[in-house]
Amino acid sequence: MKRTFDYISILKIATVQVVIFFLVMIFFNIESVWTLIIALALVVALVVLSKAYGKQSASIIEFFTANKPTVLTVLIVLLFLYPLISPLMIRQNTYWLLVLIQTGIYMILALGLNIQLGSTGVLNLAVAAFYGIGGYTAGLLSLRLGVPTIITLPLGGIVAALFGMLLYVPLYKTKGHYMALVTLAFGIMIVLALDNTEFTGGPQGLMAIPELKFFGYSFLSKPGGLHFYTNYYYFVLVLVLLSVLVSYWFYNSWVGLTLSSIRDDEIAAKCFGVNANIWKGIAFITGNVMIGIAGAVYAHMIGFISPPNFSLAESLLIVAMVILGGLDNILGIIIGTIILSILPEKMRVITEYRVFLYGILLIVIPMFRPGGLLPFKPRKYHASVAEG
Amino acid sequence: MQDTNRRIFYSENLEMNFGGLYALAGINFEIFENEAVGLIGPNGSGKTTFFNVITGVYKATGGSFHFMNESLLGKEPYEIAKKGISRTYQSSRLCLKLTLLDNILIGMYNNQTAGYFSSIFNRKKLIAEVKNFKKRAVELLDVFNPELIPKLFNPVGELPQIDRRRVEICRAMAGEPRIILLDEPSAGMTPDETTELMDDIKKVRSTMKNVSIMIVEHDMSVISSVSERVIAINFGKEIAKGTYEEVSNHPEVREAYLGKEV
Repeated sequence: MKRTFDYISILKIATVQVVIFFLVMIFFNIESVWTLIIALALVVALVVLSKAYGKQSASIIEFFTANKPTVLTVLIVLLFLYPLISPLMIRQNTYWLLVLIQTGIYMILALGLNIQLGSTGVLNLAVAAFYGIGGYTAGLLSLRLGVPTIITLPLGGIVAALFGMLLYVPLYKTKGHYMALVTLAFGIMIVLALDNTEFTGGPQGLMAIPELKFFGYSFLSKPGGLHFYTNYYYFVLVLVLLSVLVSYWFYNSWVGLTLSSIRDDEIAAKCFGVNANIWKGIAFITGNVMIGIAGAVYAHMIGFISPPNFSLAESLLIVAMVILGGLDNILGIIIGTIILSILPEKMRVITEYRVFLYGILLIVIPMFRPGGLLPFKPRKYHASVAEG
Repeated sequence: MQDTNRRIFYSENLEMNFGGLYALAGINFEIFENEAVGLIGPNGSGKTTFFNVITGVYKATGGSFHFMNESLLGKEPYEIAKKGISRTYQSSRLCLKLTLLDNILIGMYNNQTAGYFSSIFNRKKLIAEVKNFKKRAVELLDVFNPELIPKLFNPVGELPQIDRRRVEICRAMAGEPRIILLDEPSAGMTPDETTELMDDIKKVRSTMKNVSIMIVEHDMSVISSVSERVIAINFGKEIAKGTYEEVSNHPEVREAYLGKEV
């Protein structure tokens, strides 16, 4: 079944995406409050227009979803081109590069948490603790033992998974809100332990953690005269794409179905042969591997980590990203993460009201869209399943 | 005819004690191959508790129960399900947010061979299996209500009550169990819908070989038309058994349902 290339649609889609791409870069450059308000007003106007012209906007959306492969290809190409174009376009390029990398790391964290909270219904309030375990593992190993970073990265994930298994022993005996409480306590415990252990640097944390280095290529080198953050940008971009792919594959498989059945009705799932305790454990540990690897990347990039980086507030932020975006909806979670990590950066100009607006968002959105921005999406497994 | 059939399930003095209250006070019960048994009794007589005990949701406090001569006492629900006992529920326990297809596929959990790592490293095998299972789901829906087939990718929550119950029965049948337990399938339905549902249950029997059905009902018409053998219980004890006529005319059964003459 060879699809003929429809150059006109590809051109249309690419044009729209390139325009949005440049608009986003202009948005990054805006510093005055008024221009920010104008940008937000534009978004609101777009939403209102799409409501008023329901038919037309539906056909536009249909056009884009029908050409999903093209949309994704163009998007990925633009994301890879960004560090090459941005130095010419953006005044505070380094700062925004760092914000984007941090956003990417948050995406991995949120997608990891989604396997636990979104797919399985296990609320993990210790996300930041596992993030920290990954970071401290990588930091300690490379700092104290000189372990190469190609090993510390996976080990960050593995050690986070081991701690996850340890926590799962008391965790699986509890249900619902009590489960959340156990993880909450664990998160607080980890931060306190890090704060009070000399081995991990106590409240000072770990300083001068070596940068990432693969096969002799140091991530501090400047590719083609660009800032060294560019290395991290590409690395995190690849990791995010991998996380999305893995999440998508799990969602569209028996694993996703089994986890959903446990989330929606554990007793019914058990009566069809599902060993719910084992599967909840698998989901918990899978999520923690992703979260731990994200922590290791963060530690190597920033070079300095301390207990406050991994506090409860950080966990709550990641939980909010998942809930705002939409439980068990990958695209929704990506949008939720972008909103909650880029918008606050943008709102630094209105410092006093930043947290206030952020709070309002978290109250208003669940009121009007209880399932998150993008809720339920039918599981299709694969395009060919719906046809045959 | 029953004598020639194999006994596949039996319980001996099965007891369920909720802190002094005996919901089941020694039930002796048998299911033979390919038969349909009705279980009747007034509210609170222990019918649903019996289902919950033999599917492992509650742990029996006394007695024993066996499936294919293997004791299931103390086993977890997922272990019992693996042996080939599946059920529906009095109040629907479908995943309302999930699609119709997903709900039926959950019933085939025990037939899955593409596991955790196949979801990532062997997509081909997984997708082939999904297509295979989907074919079976379509076949099942075709028996019950072909109009549901185009709605395969719609959330089950959009369906009316009778179709939800059909999906639930499809889900229970999908894994090709040996025993299907139907817990008040007609609950919350109009008389017309109940008639349709009885036809559905008869269809189950004609399309599936080697399956025994045990049905709990309040609606006597369902019991009389579907089951060959009836057992009546009250206060967790068997009070009568035999054909529908025998049981429904039994004085203790009449008393349990209609009350004692003063």
